[in-house]
Amino acid sequence: MGPPPTLPTSHSFSSPSPKTLQETKTPFEIRFALLSSLSIQNHGMRHLKGEIGVVSKADGSALFEMGNTRVIAAVYGPKEIQNKGQQMNNNEALVRCEYSMANFSTGDRTRRPKGDRRSTEISLVIRQTMEACILTKLMPRSQIDIFVQVLQADGGTRSACINAATLALADAGVPMRDIITSCSAGYLCTTPLLDLNYAEDSAGGPDVTVGILAKMDKVTLLQMDAKLPLDTFENVMQLAIEGCKAVAQYIREILLENTKQLESRRGS
Amino acid sequence: MRDLHLSLNQTQRVRLQAALDQLESYAASTAAAAASVTVADSIPVNHEDNILKGHGTSDLDGQVVATLCGVVERVNKLVYVRALRSRYKPEVGDIIVGRVIEIAPKRWRLEINFSQDAVLMLSSMNLPDGIQRRRTAVDELNMRSIFVENDVICAEVRGFQHDGSLQLQARSQKYGKLEKGQLLTVPPYLVKRRKQHFHHLDQYNVDLIVGCNGFVWVGEHVETSEKESTLLSDKPSGKQETDNSVPLETRRHICRIANAVRLLSVIGLTLTVESVTETVEASLRSNIEINEMLGSEFYVQTVEREAQRRASMVRKRS
Amino acid sequence: MVGLSEGEKQFLRGGIEQDLRSDGRTRHQFRSVYVETGVIPQANGSARVRLGATEVIASIKAELGKPSLLHPDKGKVSIFVDCSPTAAAIYGGKGGEELSMELSVALERCLLGGKSGAGAAIDLSSLVLVEGKVCWDLYIDALVVSSDGNLLDSLAAAIKAALSNTGLPKVNVVLGASPEEQPEVDVSDEEFLQFDTSTVPAIITLTKVGKHYIVDATSEEESQMNSAVSVSVNRNGQICGLTKRGGAGLDPSVILDMVSVAKHVSQQFTSDLDSEIAAAEASDE
Repeated sequence: MGPPPTLPTSHSFSSPSPKTLQETKTPFEIRFALLSSLSIQNHGMRHLKGEIGVVSKADGSALFEMGNTRVIAAVYGPKEIQNKGQQMNNNEALVRCEYSMANFSTGDRTRRPKGDRRSTEISLVIRQTMEACILTKLMPRSQIDIFVQVLQADGGTRSACINAATLALADAGVPMRDIITSCSAGYLCTTPLLDLNYAEDSAGGPDVTVGILAKMDKVTLLQMDAKLPLDTFENVMQLAIEGCKAVAQYIREILLENTKQLESRRGS
Repeated sequence: MRDLHLSLNQTQRVRLQAALDQLESYAASTAAAAASVTVADSIPVNHEDNILKGHGTSDLDGQVVATLCGVVERVNKLVYVRALRSRYKPEVGDIIVGRVIEIAPKRWRLEINFSQDAVLMLSSMNLPDGIQRRRTAVDELNMRSIFVENDVICAEVRGFQHDGSLQLQARSQKYGKLEKGQLLTVPPYLVKRRKQHFHHLDQYNVDLIVGCNGFVWVGEHVETSEKESTLLSDKPSGKQETDNSVPLETRRHICRIANAVRLLSVIGLTLTVESVTETVEASLRSNIEINEMLGSEFYVQTVEREAQRRASMVRKRS
Repeated sequence: MVGLSEGEKQFLRGGIEQDLRSDGRTRHQFRSVYVETGVIPQANGSARVRLGATEVIASIKAELGKPSLLHPDKGKVSIFVDCSPTAAAIYGGKGGEELSMELSVALERCLLGGKSGAGAAIDLSSLVLVEGKVCWDLYIDALVVSSDGNLLDSLAAAIKAALSNTGLPKVNVVLGASPEEQPEVDVSDEEFLQFDTSTVPAIITLTKVGKHYIVDATSEEESQMNSAVSVSVNRNGQICGLTKRGGAGLDPSVILDMVSVAKHVSQQFTSDLDSEIAAAEASDE
């Protein structure tokens, strides 16, 4: 299919469904106005939702939502290494990751080939981030596959993917030294903003994505794509770290609730 | 949290919630509930006790920290986290069910839901003729007549080798190839280690093997002596041709038991031969069709029955 | 993919022969279907459908376009299926492409009719706003999230559910004075027209294992198939499309028999699906 034929009008129609008209059309100024009246730390974060066990055949799986961004992660393994050639080190597990976006995940429908540059890069980022927390030495000669699938993209997909992967790995019972969470922050109209959505992200400001080891308080992922004075950067990064901590708190709650539920049903 | 993908009507939803709340309230009164941890939670310990850190724990700045989600268990000085959902963690002597995936020189490799494939050496199993002797080159060539790829077999965990591979053994008539039945997989945490993992359900003429690795075999009952004779005959394929059909009556039982296992595993209830037969009997009592066992009504009933069972257990204790 | 031992294969085939499959179903019984609508808020309509452990998501996006010159009285619909690696590691990389293509084409054949659009199960002419000038382009994207057999039927069911979840905005078109002039289009933000799905067919795939054929095969059962026939049947019992897969040849009389079985099974399945969709729509609101 080629691109749709040029329309006979200037009206380029992107069609939000009635239910979310409000959310998708919200210009960032509105949120900005809301934000400035409230303390940034707690109110910049969009609504979070996590759900464990969404893919029945996987060893571990989870759905994670940050606002309208919605991703699924599935973990297969630890299992025997399939392609011995990929094995780098005999003493630790091989972690693999693949990121893919559904055709319907973005506002304007595009069909992108698998394995384009962007998804290859995000796959790598997620893999490296998760490798930092998985205790790979405990699972020698095995491999762990992490698949993340974006169902809906509205800014902050890589953060949502990392959070979903953390949940899925914990569900699969993969030993980890800490919980890794991620959140992004930006800087618009002289105000640091937490957890940017697509509209805010494309407004031109910087987008700082941070991943932290929540308990150890260490940054494992840091990406930024625009220029920013150093002292402002510090504020923005700090805000993102606060965001990560809030996500970590939420993820812990979900995991604990899930653990208690499994244990209570199992009985003694 | 785990989403239930069944359409429940209003009353069923209320009943299910009530039963689940009941289960939760019983669990809340036990020590296990208080000891639930998630990844990166600190585990309170008294450092003067010289504690030993076991599975699922690590050391962070002098604190004991969980590396898994699960329940903290303390045995004397040992502190460890008992994981819930995860792949199988082998222990020596476990009875497991596995699937052959490769025939290598002098060994079979098996998928057993562990983080790597398990190895069954030709020398670790009884030969078809039952004589104890050195394995010859001829035996090696005949390996395919014993097990081929995809065969489901039952064996015992022998232990880890120096190179870190997991070894199995099958030195008894009760171990070996499983036929005429179906293999189910359940999360291993639902299977408890017990004395018995082979069950011959006499009334149904069915064998139920609950492998510690979460592979569950439900099949037509095979007499151990008969198994011996099939092993003895050099051409097992010839025998299969003659009677490969399972009688309908037995098949009904197999499917019913299999669905009971599926249901218990979906709900997340412990799988024992008692819980399986109890579920089967309950389905027969209330005239539930075999495939209806996976439907919403029986799901709710099963959770309610479990809640009642635990209630009566609590009453007995007090 | 699914490796079964000789003993399991015989058990499975024997069950189909005795009309009692491994999970207790009879040969012509579906697994219970579960529908959730509105799962992709950014789309015009969307649905998630589960059939046992098979799970698929379908989304509908509508864009304004221009009808093709050959068929000025018809809108355009295209279907793309993707297999997510979350369903199975083999779909990673380019592994799922062949299957995705096969499913997309089979769905287009069963739902959209031929190149002319004649006999299309989705009413293409209802998508035209001004003949030859403006029409809706529907992009149907589906994703396989978890796979345990019978993908085609689940995808068709998900598409049907997503279509019934679809509201197309009301459009006012003001034609220019001369035919060359571009028409003005005004898209309403408030008024939505429900998409009529009463004619959208259900696809029933009959998988032939041994002498018999079964509906809604699990992946274990599919591994034993020698051929399969997918029939799309609408509510009136008309056949809208047909695909035969698998190497083994079939006797024409067997095919006719399979089609009539599919027609029979489709009635039950369609009514089950419709009530599930209605329930999902009710809880969605």
